[in-house]
Amino acid sequence: MTRVRIPTGAFYKMENQENKEKIQETKKEESQTTDKNITHKKTFGHFHDKYYKFLLLIPISFLIFSFIYISIFYSNHNDFFRKDISLTGGTSATIYGEFNVNDLKQELSGKLEDVNVREIYDIVTKEQKAVIIETKTSGEETKKVLENYLGYELNDNNSSFEFSGSALSQSFYRQLLLAIFFAFVLMAIVVFILFRTFIPSSAVIISAFADILMTLVSVNLLGIRVSNAGIVAFLMLIGYSVDTDILLTNRVLKRSGEDSLNKRIFGAFKTGMTMTVAALVAVVSALIVVKSFSAVLSQIFTIISIGLVFDIFNTWVTNVSILKWYLERKQKEKRE
Amino acid sequence: MKLTWKIWFLIIVLFFSVLSIFNLSALFQKGVLITSVDSNSSAFEQGLRQGQIIIGIDGKPIESLDDFSKAFHGKYSSELNESIKTIITTKQSEIILFSKDAPKITVSEIHKTNIKTGLDLSGGSRALVQAQDKELTSGEIDDLVAVTRNRFNVYGISDIKVLPVSDLSGNHFMLIEIAGATPKDLENLISEQGKFEAKIRNKSVFIGGKKDITSVCRNDATCAGIETCQDSGNGYFCNFRFSVYLSESAAGKHAEITKDLEIDKTNSEYLSEKLDLYLDDKLVDSLFISKDLKGRVTTQIQISGSGAGQTRDDAYNSAKQNMNKLQTILITGSLPYKLEIVKLDTISPLLGKDFSKSILYAGIVALLSVSIIIFIRYKKIRSSIFLLITSISEVIIILGVASFIKWDLDLLSIAGILATIGTGIDQQIIILDEAKQTKFLSIKERMKRAFTIVLGAYFTGLVSLIPLYWAGAGLLKGFAITTIIGITAGVLITRPAFADIVKRIEE
Repeated sequence: MTRVRIPTGAFYKMENQENKEKIQETKKEESQTTDKNITHKKTFGHFHDKYYKFLLLIPISFLIFSFIYISIFYSNHNDFFRKDISLTGGTSATIYGEFNVNDLKQELSGKLEDVNVREIYDIVTKEQKAVIIETKTSGEETKKVLENYLGYELNDNNSSFEFSGSALSQSFYRQLLLAIFFAFVLMAIVVFILFRTFIPSSAVIISAFADILMTLVSVNLLGIRVSNAGIVAFLMLIGYSVDTDILLTNRVLKRSGEDSLNKRIFGAFKTGMTMTVAALVAVVSALIVVKSFSAVLSQIFTIISIGLVFDIFNTWVTNVSILKWYLERKQKEKRE
Repeated sequence: MKLTWKIWFLIIVLFFSVLSIFNLSALFQKGVLITSVDSNSSAFEQGLRQGQIIIGIDGKPIESLDDFSKAFHGKYSSELNESIKTIITTKQSEIILFSKDAPKITVSEIHKTNIKTGLDLSGGSRALVQAQDKELTSGEIDDLVAVTRNRFNVYGISDIKVLPVSDLSGNHFMLIEIAGATPKDLENLISEQGKFEAKIRNKSVFIGGKKDITSVCRNDATCAGIETCQDSGNGYFCNFRFSVYLSESAAGKHAEITKDLEIDKTNSEYLSEKLDLYLDDKLVDSLFISKDLKGRVTTQIQISGSGAGQTRDDAYNSAKQNMNKLQTILITGSLPYKLEIVKLDTISPLLGKDFSKSILYAGIVALLSVSIIIFIRYKKIRSSIFLLITSISEVIIILGVASFIKWDLDLLSIAGILATIGTGIDQQIIILDEAKQTKFLSIKERMKRAFTIVLGAYFTGLVSLIPLYWAGAGLLKGFAITTIIGITAGVLITRPAFADIVKRIEE
């Protein structure tokens, strides 16, 4: 292969509108490499050119399913997800020592409202360290019931109690939903300022929204009771899911005339996948470590990992398809 | 490799972060730290105070908590009924105690770092208090906070924070946070306003509440304020006065009791007995009673006092402080509402250490697995190592800033740190990939492109965190704070340095 070699520094100074063609030529020559990899990419490129609009049907059907599911869920539960006691109000008691979780649950279920019992154990030795009892009953009442059952006084040498009144928790819940709403709106505004074009900006926002909605549906399907930390995780998801979309839109939109559209998309895909996979691996491995210990952190990590998986899908199917459609239509209009 | 100013900047920031994290004076100090001293004990009388460091007991060096408990083991047995001598050597002085029981002090290891963990990790209690069936204004909350602070002082609970907080819906709360062991009757202590009683010769004259005290003049220059400031030759002193309005019945009682008092022989301006102020049955202050109040039925009494200081301003402020303190004591029990604990967490310190350890493991495992992914993708040892170093330095900067602003790291703050590592690595991947891309652009231009993406991601992340700062009475703002510190430090300090490192490697 022959290559036109120009010192990069000098070339940089020359780079302007007139030289764009020259860049194209250089690039063309470069891309003529008879590499197997490239042919694979090309066939996939052809496939993608042909079917990307149809690919969009997958996220659309997912979204329709999600909307229907959430509407049904909402009419049944009067809410978007199952809330744990940090959002409904109630008591979470941690009692140190070894207990049989099932016995405890059976024994307490008649005396406390809506009981849920979990254990905390050492990840290495698997030795049980404590049990967490969650109930809608008030703190004082729960303490009495537990002391009666256990036969000893509970103090801060053998237990922890966390109680939130129901009015307060519900007010917290409304505020957190509001915070998510505002966060989303502010994010959308920044995205519009960044790209200043309607459809590409909307594509980013739609992908982020789809991400959150699909994660929410999964959380409900898994039967997870969301805590206030869980809502914070959804908030984190806004930031995480937008990252790759911004990368994609920036590379594709602001660098037209350097590479072919497919090449730009594929370049962004390589970077974006590295980002998401790295984040996913980090979050999942952290989740494995904290799972036995912290309900707060494990819920945050669970929600983020689900969200990251959907982010891969929504960035590289939903967002890419909308963006490609938009650019090809624009090109067509130009030609006409 | 040549170090550019951006890399130097990172190194300097890292240096200061480390300085801020570690408690240099304590790093090489041996001994144990006194965390509390019972104010009614002989240890307190002899001058032992919270914050002092014990380095020896009875001539033996104390280097750890173990040494400390060994020093007292078997020394004070209940059979002996005589005082035992104990010599406690602190960093500042040597104290000799004679007592039948072990000194009433609690100790902990010396804090080697300035990193403070939140209640959910270190143990303690936290309560959010609201008025029952009433929306409190921020002024009312401030009164409540002042009254509550006074009461906790009376009970000798020191490591405590009482703050007014408000949330997104405009609700005002009183937030109480106590580090360490939870006081036994905490719930009663915070669900009641407290009891104020004024006594003369142990007879009750008036008690807190509208029945006796109709109002206490505050913030009204006509009936409360600082009057004269004078040079005493050895500094300044200022006088304050404020009016208290009593009900008819309280005024009558006052007249009835003072009627029989005599005029003080040593100070003919005042009566022989004082007006004793009790808060929750503990004497907090005593006031002289002016002689013309003797036997008089008056619904308006005036309370005066003074404050001293080296400068006029010092004296003025001290007088103001003394006045405010008396005013808050007098309004205790008079606040026209009942209190309700809307949230109460009492968290045992027992699991905290295990918890912190597991979080540290999680962080290490996450970083290691990310570096494996990075190495697989780039197959360049150098870039991967620098990426890892940059991420670690980001964590150090967050911890440094958190120590500097004395932020207590709770679980959510730590989740925020982990989130920052995640976004940080993502952005470094963008930088690495841009560096590899389109070779016909100069590396400088490529880095510029990387930064437009990084900045876009930064701003979307930043704005989505801002609403969280206010939601939920600020109990979740730890996450917002560490993340904002982290991503901002990332964009301003670590990312530019990383870009320069990548530039050097590419060139």
